[in-house]
Amino acid sequence: MIQVHKLWKKFGRNDAVRDLSFAVPEGSAFALIGANGAGKTTTIKILMNILHSTRGTAEVLGIDSRRLSPRELTQIGYVSENQDMPHRMTVEQFLAYLRPFYPTWDRELEKSLLRQLRLPGERRIRDLSHGMRLKVALASALSFRPKLLVLDEPFSGLDPLVRDEFMEGLLHQAGEMTILISSHELGEIDGVATHVAFLDEGKLLFQESMSDVIARFREVRVTLEREPAAPTHAPSDWLQLRTMGNVVSFVDTQFSKDGLGERVKALLPGVRDIDTQPMGLRSIFTTLARTARESAV
Amino acid sequence: MVWHIFKKDWKLLWPFFLAVAAIQFIPAAIRVKLGLFGEDPVLEYALVPATSIACLAVAFLAVAIVHQDSIPGVRQDWLVRPVRGRDLLVAKLLFILVLVEGAAIAAATFQVLASGFSLRESLTAAFFQNLFLISMITLPAIAFASATKTSMECIIAAIVTYVGGAALLIAFAIARGGNERPASVGTGASWITLSAGLIVFVLGTCVVLGMQYIYRRTAIARGAIAVSCVLFVVVFELLPWKPLFAFQQHLSSQPGVAHSMTLSLDATLGKYHQPSGLTLSDQELWERSHKQGSPAELFVPLSISGLPADSILKADKSELRLISSNGQVVYRGSGEDLEVRQEGTSNRQSSAYQEFDIPQAIYSRLKSQTLRVEIGYSLTLFRLDTAFGIPALGGDLRSPKLGWCETQMNESGSAVELHCMQAGNAPTCATAFLENPSTGMRNPSLSSCEPDYAPHFLRSDVDPISHYGLNLRFRDPSRLTQYPVDGPQLPKSQVVLRLYDPQDHFTRQLIIPAISLRDWEST
Repeated sequence: MIQVHKLWKKFGRNDAVRDLSFAVPEGSAFALIGANGAGKTTTIKILMNILHSTRGTAEVLGIDSRRLSPRELTQIGYVSENQDMPHRMTVEQFLAYLRPFYPTWDRELEKSLLRQLRLPGERRIRDLSHGMRLKVALASALSFRPKLLVLDEPFSGLDPLVRDEFMEGLLHQAGEMTILISSHELGEIDGVATHVAFLDEGKLLFQESMSDVIARFREVRVTLEREPAAPTHAPSDWLQLRTMGNVVSFVDTQFSKDGLGERVKALLPGVRDIDTQPMGLRSIFTTLARTARESAV
Repeated sequence: MVWHIFKKDWKLLWPFFLAVAAIQFIPAAIRVKLGLFGEDPVLEYALVPATSIACLAVAFLAVAIVHQDSIPGVRQDWLVRPVRGRDLLVAKLLFILVLVEGAAIAAATFQVLASGFSLRESLTAAFFQNLFLISMITLPAIAFASATKTSMECIIAAIVTYVGGAALLIAFAIARGGNERPASVGTGASWITLSAGLIVFVLGTCVVLGMQYIYRRTAIARGAIAVSCVLFVVVFELLPWKPLFAFQQHLSSQPGVAHSMTLSLDATLGKYHQPSGLTLSDQELWERSHKQGSPAELFVPLSISGLPADSILKADKSELRLISSNGQVVYRGSGEDLEVRQEGTSNRQSSAYQEFDIPQAIYSRLKSQTLRVEIGYSLTLFRLDTAFGIPALGGDLRSPKLGWCETQMNESGSAVELHCMQAGNAPTCATAFLENPSTGMRNPSLSSCEPDYAPHFLRSDVDPISHYGLNLRFRDPSRLTQYPVDGPQLPKSQVVLRLYDPQDHFTRQLIIPAISLRDWEST
């Protein structure tokens, strides 16, 4: 559905995106995660042909993103936290304006989305709150049953109630569509994403299916018989290695139930107990982000 | 989808549009109310701001229409919708050029119709006058709007460009030494420069709109705006006179009519004698009283032969070169206005003085030397087209050639005011005199000849109606001058108005092998 190959984007002397490559499989819910300024929005804007890349290629629906035409855009829904919608229009006027552009626009679906998202059709867009505007954008992006739905930081600035309504609206209609979602609100993505890519300072740190990520990251606490000397040659896949008394903790990024015990015992003498805990996406993200920052320093 | 986008903009902007349309009718109504003689000072004062506001309102609405779906930026909703850039462009142009300009044309048509012209004349005048405003104001406004995100950005960009253009004009003026004007300024051929400038604007706008609506290249579009503005100034400042006049020659309606006309030095005329101060206007008297350090005035006596009957010869430009005995050009300059009238049927020789103003410092250095003088003339021959007789008092005449003319006595009772208006461009060269047909007496004729050789349909003004006229004196309050047709004869007299048409544009070279400048100072 989306193929990005060695993508670069420079703004002046700054590299916003560096040598980025990833692929979004059809039917997946692909989360692009990373801290603010990681390059998520820039990547999405290149995919939508709003920005042009400095180098590299990006294909959307099998077309070079620089050649995206109205024909492809009839199949792509887009919602962004900073989308400027025609603020003088009412919600109804806006949707009525968009209808003729999309051959697959479904009036019944539109009505049901307006009801579900509790959108006031007669209100001008400029009079709506940020959350309401995002819901209008979502309704306008879902009403034509797009093949690809691109969500750029859709949860930013939303209160929990609106966030829930937004997610309900999204999940209710998701069906077969492919979703590309960028966010740093990882709690929301956790239950939605099937694939995840982690961006840091414009670079891709990894891309894989959510189940693989969840499976290979573990928080490990090793209790030793006595306080250990500082380990001098910890494996590179152990992150955030910490010692507190006789307890050593770290994040194992290549967790294997069978291999962990042997590896720990080989490095840390006097192991009394090994406790492993699965990690949520939020914890994985913060671990990776911290590690990336520490290594940058 | 063009119509769909058009309807969307209409739904959002119709109140703004109605306001702008109403504003267009205000200057039109003021002009109708002012009529031929425009004697209401309050309305006269109101006309300038009302006209400016009407023009600005059109520009603002054009900007607002474009900014409904602005091009620069990465956040606009339309960028992620299946909206074709060219549909957007066509919809915007349709709204601006048909609806907004339609309102401006309607207001101009109303003005011309209300002034008593036919519907056809009114529509033609209104359409072509708006064509000028579109290329001068609306298209640049669209170009600026397409390269900016908000009205404020657009206004700032326009101000910056205006200041930059003005600075460039000042730089050119300084480079010229502050004396000379650009080649075509003040001549009948200035329309060519203006048209070339407007073509630059139109082409520049096409480039900007193409870059923005098809490629979304704002940086290039902004560069194109800057280049267009610089080119406009360069065209205005640097378009040389010779090719410009050659183009005008090419457009002569009767080429070769003036082929037998010659110009030569006529030393027998003697030195030019300044007229008595009493015959000078207040302005001329003021200028003379402030002449300390002003240039030396030389008057070269000329003999002109071969002028056809009922014609006017007008020098569009006279370029003077003074060459010293060793062949070095010691001075270049331009001559003052030269107009020679040949009224009546006789084909006699005419004479005139060609005035040159030479800076005192140069004159002092050269006045005793023997110099070779070369004068390159760019000339236009006007022939009488039509003549009209209008009662001297309370006259009211309409004709397709003339437009609409009326006569009335001035407030001080010393002159007959002849005021005329014409839908679109009026005749730019006319003479008029008072005549008593019962006695055959007539006063000296006055001329109003500030030619504009623009094709009739090219109107470069904010007013769709042209005004022209003359004040014909019949009484000298100081009683030093007696007029053959005076006050008591006015009820039986008429104003004879003669309209002249430019027929041939041509050049002549006058070479005077040896001359001493001091011989041709005025006395």
